[in-house]
Amino acid sequence: MRRKARKLDEILEIPVELSTNNPKITIIGFERVLIENYKGILEYQEYFIRLNTYIGIININGFNLNLEEMTSDDLLITGKIESIDFEDLSEEDDAENLK
Amino acid sequence: MNSNKLLQYIEGYVNIVVEGYYIERFINICSNKQIDLWNLKRIDSITINASIKISEFKKLKQICKKTKCKVKIKNKKGLPFIVRKYKKRKVFIGFLLLIIIVIISLSNFVWNIDVEGTTSINPQEIINIAKEEGLDIGKLKGSIDTKKVINQIRLKRDDVAWAGIEIKGTNVKIKIAEADKKPEIIDESEFCNIVADKDGIISKVSARNGTPLVKQGDVVKKGDIIIAGWLEGKYTDKQYVHSQGEVTAKVYYTSTQNVELKEVQKIETGNIDKSYAIKVNNFQINLPKTLPKFQKYDTIETNKKLKLFSDFYLPIEIVEKEYKEYEETTIIHSIEEAKQIGIDRAAEQLQENLKDKKITNKEVKVKSEPNSVEVEVIYEVEEKIGIEEKIVF
Repeated sequence: MRRKARKLDEILEIPVELSTNNPKITIIGFERVLIENYKGILEYQEYFIRLNTYIGIININGFNLNLEEMTSDDLLITGKIESIDFEDLSEEDDAENLK
Repeated sequence: MNSNKLLQYIEGYVNIVVEGYYIERFINICSNKQIDLWNLKRIDSITINASIKISEFKKLKQICKKTKCKVKIKNKKGLPFIVRKYKKRKVFIGFLLLIIIVIISLSNFVWNIDVEGTTSINPQEIINIAKEEGLDIGKLKGSIDTKKVINQIRLKRDDVAWAGIEIKGTNVKIKIAEADKKPEIIDESEFCNIVADKDGIISKVSARNGTPLVKQGDVVKKGDIIIAGWLEGKYTDKQYVHSQGEVTAKVYYTSTQNVELKEVQKIETGNIDKSYAIKVNNFQINLPKTLPKFQKYDTIETNKKLKLFSDFYLPIEIVEKEYKEYEETTIIHSIEEAKQIGIDRAAEQLQENLKDKKITNKEVKVKSEPNSVEVEVIYEVEEKIGIEEKIVF
């Protein structure tokens, strides 16, 4: 059933971020990150932001980080961004499932 | 995404400071409850700054209780707060509205009329014609029938070739194109006399066609026929022709100047004093200013119309009065000097008539009186005096 739905999405060319719960991360220059489809903020410091999404956790490192705009599903972060890394939870789930 | 800064400003927002240990939770609850926050900034480990809409600020109270945070308002921004500030000042708002209404209603009237493109026509005459047709200062713009005014100007003035009216703001521009007066050309085939157009003594008559009626040395008056437009032979009858010929005559121009021996001359000292007045239609308010301390002074008045923009004239004029101080000095001329002054003045007066003409003689008569000298200057000028005049049977 899930596979069929995925195929239908492919045929209809529905964007991935809409058909699944994957977040869309747009980086504009070095000082702007727009994250759509996030779940919540786990941690917010001036130098570190940890975000929860449906498939994992996004860590953003930098300086003077601001949450410029925040709605229930969009988040615009500005500030000097050093690095962005991900902690994939779904893989672990899959691994656990395999066991 | 609420990215429209202008919309935020119109709706009004508050900058708040949130204090507490569970700020992340606070933010998450806000976003879950569809409360938009923006400009979130970490200050230290327990405080952040944020902005929020006024309408959503009340909802924060509940969340604060839940997360044990404190919310303080840092400052309020946006239109609603400005409106609230001025709500108490009813007189101020009232006058502001009144001024706007007055300006809007004033803009429906004509407050200035300019006439453009005139060189020989007096602009005042055009304005007077327009006045009769209802285009006047203080009239409603809508009531002006421009077509009618244009037609009337063209009907009443032969020397206007084209007229146009442009209404811009409170300013009315009447554009005029002048027509050259048609020179009266008498057709070759028509019969005409040559007539003197000035008094004078004939010095030369040469008729190419027609019968000369005067000889050299004859005195003619204005309007006298010099060359008659007919030919009469011994055996033929009177035959009318188009007379042609040149007539030169000595014409006298005189000018009498009375020069006082004791003359008072004005010399400006350069001291200037100014005072102002405001004029609304014909009602003048003098701004308080004492009269100048000068003993003797000239007053120069200049009127200036107030305008808001380049074309929005207001019915208010500012009158600037400039007082220029002068000193009087009396100069006593000798008779010789007075005579020379008289001659100079006469020459100046007659300059217009003597331009480009051959002066054959100049006579100066001086009559001495106890306090003044009367100088009479007579110029004898040789010039052409004949003009064509149609024969009317």
